[in-house]
Amino acid sequence: MDYFLQNFPQQLVNGLELGSLYALIALGYTLIYGILELLNFAHGDVFMVGAFLAAGVAALLVHNEVAAIPGGLAVGLMLLIAMGGAGFLGVGIERVAYRPLRNANRLAPLITAIGVSLFLESAVQVFVSPAPVLVPTNALVAQTVVHAGNVESPLTGLILFAASVGLMIALDVFVFRTRFGSAMRATAQDREAATFMGIDVDRVIMVTFFVASALAGLGGVLFGLRYAEVDFFMGYLLGIKAFTAAVIGGIGNIRGAMVGGLLLGVLESMAGGFISTQFQDTFVFLTLIIVLLVRPQGLFGQPLADRA
Amino acid sequence: MAQPRILALAALATVGLAACGGGSSTGGTATNKPDKVQIACEGPFTGDEASIGAGALRACQLAVKVFNNAGGVGGTQVTLLIWDDNHNAQTAQTLQAQGTSDPTVLGIVGPMNSGVVLGSVTGLQSATPPLPFVSESASNVKVTDSGNSVAHRVNARDDAQGPADAKFMIDQGAHKVYVMDAKSDYSTGLADQTQKYLSDHNITFMRDSVKAGTKDFSTTVTKIKAFNADWVYFADEGPEAAPLVSAMKSGGLTLGNNINFLGTDGEEDPSIITTSQGAYDGAYATNITADPAGVTGSGAANYVTAYKAEYGPDSISQAGPFYGSAYEATQVLLQAIKNSPVKNGKISRADVLSHLGSDTFTTIFGSVKFDAKGDVQGGGIYVYQAKGSSMVVLKQVSG
Repeated sequence: MDYFLQNFPQQLVNGLELGSLYALIALGYTLIYGILELLNFAHGDVFMVGAFLAAGVAALLVHNEVAAIPGGLAVGLMLLIAMGGAGFLGVGIERVAYRPLRNANRLAPLITAIGVSLFLESAVQVFVSPAPVLVPTNALVAQTVVHAGNVESPLTGLILFAASVGLMIALDVFVFRTRFGSAMRATAQDREAATFMGIDVDRVIMVTFFVASALAGLGGVLFGLRYAEVDFFMGYLLGIKAFTAAVIGGIGNIRGAMVGGLLLGVLESMAGGFISTQFQDTFVFLTLIIVLLVRPQGLFGQPLADRA
Repeated sequence: MAQPRILALAALATVGLAACGGGSSTGGTATNKPDKVQIACEGPFTGDEASIGAGALRACQLAVKVFNNAGGVGGTQVTLLIWDDNHNAQTAQTLQAQGTSDPTVLGIVGPMNSGVVLGSVTGLQSATPPLPFVSESASNVKVTDSGNSVAHRVNARDDAQGPADAKFMIDQGAHKVYVMDAKSDYSTGLADQTQKYLSDHNITFMRDSVKAGTKDFSTTVTKIKAFNADWVYFADEGPEAAPLVSAMKSGGLTLGNNINFLGTDGEEDPSIITTSQGAYDGAYATNITADPAGVTGSGAANYVTAYKAEYGPDSISQAGPFYGSAYEATQVLLQAIKNSPVKNGKISRADVLSHLGSDTFTTIFGSVKFDAKGDVQGGGIYVYQAKGSSMVVLKQVSG
């Protein structure tokens, strides 16, 4: 019991940091599902591409010693390119792999999603690197460790948490408080009716993909800064975890995805910290099964309609 | 650039020729040369373990090139097949099927991963005739303990490495060891061996397992600190070492200062120092085979020269832990083929297999002979330490 009490706060912090990353990716799943009822299985790989873009920018700057420019500026450039790049990649994927199938059997876009996922993984493996790639974080951000009582976290971990939560709140405001947000919610509720109301549905879907993918790109940058290493396969498991988070929260529900993500991160950290690292994932997916049995629509989901 | 390359190759060819001269008591004559001779080099050449496989493949290619320049098998050039199994036993089975059905494929250098060997050895053993292999890195005891005559390896076994690793840590003053594996046939098998020795010698330990591909080690680091470990032992193929030591560093655990780290073969890799941004500096790692750049002897030194000449001056730092044993394994297999009789333009795999079992081979590390199970006699475990930008040999150890 002593062991538990002593280590619980630290494992909670570990879990919240990891969870905020899950939440950020889960938002993308949930946004796109909310609008299109499409499970975008390529989303984890968009995150991976974003991380590689960030790593590329970082390597370029540090290698040419341009990083003599303040680290903050370099990170800003990484954010810009990774989020922009991932955003446009998302829009491109929608255009090529999903839009032509919008009226097809619902299985068809699911299959193309898996296809795009495999394509992105293989392309990065073949053309970029089969081995993990270093993000030279030492030259970019202070490697400070922040202490509070007997709990500690690297500064980059706190940045990860703060940036994720900040962006989630911004997204929530965007969807629920802006004109474009209402257009998104209208599209989610009834695409045809939204068209009749003069909403350019194609544009709404495009912007949704851009926002969801840019968030994944942001996740990629934060991941690179926190863990200093990216590889071509990292989007796979993280994508599945984020998808699980979205389902636990109630897929299609933005706040649900946030809570689901944080919950999953904490669960994983607790299971690993106090039960067994070996069965970490077993507990995570067991939770998913239990949630689905007890509350099939997820914690925050509503049985039908009024998604987004 | 071309000039020294040729010179180095010539130097190595002389070594190779001398070696072949010594071993070919029953060698085929030039009048009866084989029509076609093929061997395969198998390992994870792409994917997450390419850092281990890529250097081994280059070694294999160089060994075949040198052998062919020295005349091949009675004048016939050896064709090298490249089988990239991606650390996947099913992929390995598909690739190996090409070999078992083609009688001119006489042997395999590899597979490199214990899990791949254990998942595909049945197919090699049941082929007619059985297709022999010489692994440069598969260390799980079952690889040669399962009674398959096709199995050979030039590296030392887990039951030699585990105790040697544990003893090394104890000799360095270890009291509390955090023992980790990465959930593969190789890493759990090895961590079990190490754990057993620690427990037999009354050293406190805690066992943990992490998934391959893990990047977030904060949970693990919290546990290491709570356990108050003075050594972390991680049996791993390599890719997880950099994120682990980075997380240890940001958790306030500095190698050589308030904690020590011992890794295994896959972690005897200087690229981890770069990918961990220096956090790996001071880490120890044992390898089940010698690093040619770290041992004495002209064979190994000439090989390092030739490798650099062939692949560039910086190539050794990316060659991974097995570029020496892969060359050694290729030399062994090629000599066994050369020693086998040629009948009607054909060499039989059955003869290659029996020569593998009976002959003594000359390699860059000296002479090599297999015991009845296919294990190399006197295989050594070597301790390395990450210093600056390279892994430096400290000494040879045993359990």
